[in-house]
Amino acid sequence: MTDTNDQPPYIDLKGIRKGYRIGAEMVSIFSSLDLAIAGGEFVAIMGPSGSGKSTLLNMLAGIDGPDGGQLRIGGKRLDQMGESARSAWRAHNMGIVFQFYNLLPMLTAAENVELPLLLKPLSARERRIRTEKVLDLVGLAGREKQYPTLMSGGQQQRVGIARAIVSDPGLLLCDEPTGDLDRKSADEILAMLGFLNKEMGKTIVMVTHDPQAARHASRTLHLDKGEFVEERSAA
Amino acid sequence: MASLIRQTLVMTRANLLSLPRRRAISLSMSLSIALVVMVLAGFLSMAKGFEQALKGTGSSAVAVILGGGTNQETGSDIPPDVVRSIAAKRSDLGLVRNAAGELVASREIVVPVDVRHPGDNLGQTMALRGMDLSGLSLRDGVTLSAGRPFARGSREILVGDRLAHDVPGFGVGDTVRLGAVDWTVSGHFSAGGSAFESELWADLDAVRAGFDRQGEVQTLRLRLESPASIATLRDALSDVTETPLVITSETDLYAGQSGRTSDLIRLFGWPLALLMAVGAGAGALNTMMSSVADRASEIAVVRTLGFGRMAAFASTWIEAVLLSLAGAAIGVAASWALFNGWQASTVGVNNTRMMFQLAVTGDVMTMAALLGLAIGAIGGALPAIAATRRR
Repeated sequence: MTDTNDQPPYIDLKGIRKGYRIGAEMVSIFSSLDLAIAGGEFVAIMGPSGSGKSTLLNMLAGIDGPDGGQLRIGGKRLDQMGESARSAWRAHNMGIVFQFYNLLPMLTAAENVELPLLLKPLSARERRIRTEKVLDLVGLAGREKQYPTLMSGGQQQRVGIARAIVSDPGLLLCDEPTGDLDRKSADEILAMLGFLNKEMGKTIVMVTHDPQAARHASRTLHLDKGEFVEERSAA
Repeated sequence: MASLIRQTLVMTRANLLSLPRRRAISLSMSLSIALVVMVLAGFLSMAKGFEQALKGTGSSAVAVILGGGTNQETGSDIPPDVVRSIAAKRSDLGLVRNAAGELVASREIVVPVDVRHPGDNLGQTMALRGMDLSGLSLRDGVTLSAGRPFARGSREILVGDRLAHDVPGFGVGDTVRLGAVDWTVSGHFSAGGSAFESELWADLDAVRAGFDRQGEVQTLRLRLESPASIATLRDALSDVTETPLVITSETDLYAGQSGRTSDLIRLFGWPLALLMAVGAGAGALNTMMSSVADRASEIAVVRTLGFGRMAAFASTWIEAVLLSLAGAAIGVAASWALFNGWQASTVGVNNTRMMFQLAVTGDVMTMAALLGLAIGAIGGALPAIAATRRR
């Protein structure tokens, strides 16, 4: 799967190999995966369970490293970085939206959103201003001190998105962001992701099972048995 | 560094705020540490109280001479010739003399006596000290708290306050059977809670007669011109060859005797406390492993956001240390409330019953609390490492 743009791809995977050892057996997930995503694209990745979607997302997030091949994001070779370097890179360049929100229940909405900013050299006042700004952006102004357990699923996912974009990363990775939401809430979240892509220029990679969710992306890739088998661009 | 501190603080705060989810197991960890702290504090306060009672006994301005090469009063024997030759010396002995030029001295013997009261089948062994009348003036810091001193040649006893308080039947005017004869309590004395207060004092000749110890002298107490004069006394008596003499100050005599028993108490206390600490450490390990498992998704989330391994380690370890600190605080507070000032007794000086108060002092509390903290610090380290591997 390659991007046709002349610009070098923002995300560039070449010949990626990845496998897991299960007991004595080595199970291959990817034998030679290629992928190119341009900056500012909104790409959905679909596929059946076990197709390698989560493994791919973990590698893009730098949580897992490939066994071989080149993994380049924003010009940086993640495959050549150690775990702590990938962790630091992730903190500054990427936001992640989880299916089950993964908010810390004992912290308020604002404290959850503020977490990535603690990794940056910002004053408490700067962190507060940026936190309030993104909570306003996702429609949760005035709910800074509310705890996640008192919020609906849609609201919790908004907090999750606010946390993902508060440090202004260029890339958003979304792992089934609407998988736990009703249709109405899901559409609101997808509209918000669309806004972040179109209006704020975020590059978005979204793993989803939901064809309706995938329609919000500019390109949909189908993954099966460790290979991209189909590509569909939005009309 | 500032980022690491911020990460650690927020993770620690999140950990502590999630403690109610692990209320029971966290409480059990703190309480088990409190128990270990209490056991150690109990033994240490016992040793400390015993030491304080003995080290506070006597005066550095009083010399004690023992014969026979022993430093135990009951095993000592000073031949009458030696007593007479010391008294007869006119050279500078570094000792105080009275207006008549005689040494301010007291010949003394200590007799272990069994005291039985109705309903008390076992009885208690106490120290009955026979002394010259001048012996009372050689006891610095001793005051008469009730009644009057014993009279010369009479079967009267002066009873230490602590003994009179703890053992029934020693009221002023009471009659007590010691050995084969009855003795009357003439008064009580106070000695600032020192080991003297566990003794019965009587006239030397009356004790000798009552226990068939005619002519016996175990120790000779003498008033020094100054604490430093003990060296002069040793030099002056170096020509005594009839028996090997031990010449020491009264404070050194009792301080030396405190070491063996207090060491023995500590020898029992530390292994027991350490054994319990191993158990509490295993409990701490289990508790913190549960904590890490309980917070697995939260740790994974913040690690995914870019939080470092060090923050995951530090926050888990700090939680363990804070829980052990709470346990140590509970243990120390309970020890102080329960043990401090508690009356205890043991076989002490001269193989007789010695009463003392448990002393939960600052160093006892510090040592016990440090053991409690060590349990949390060591028991929490492995789970903290496990937390760094969560993602």
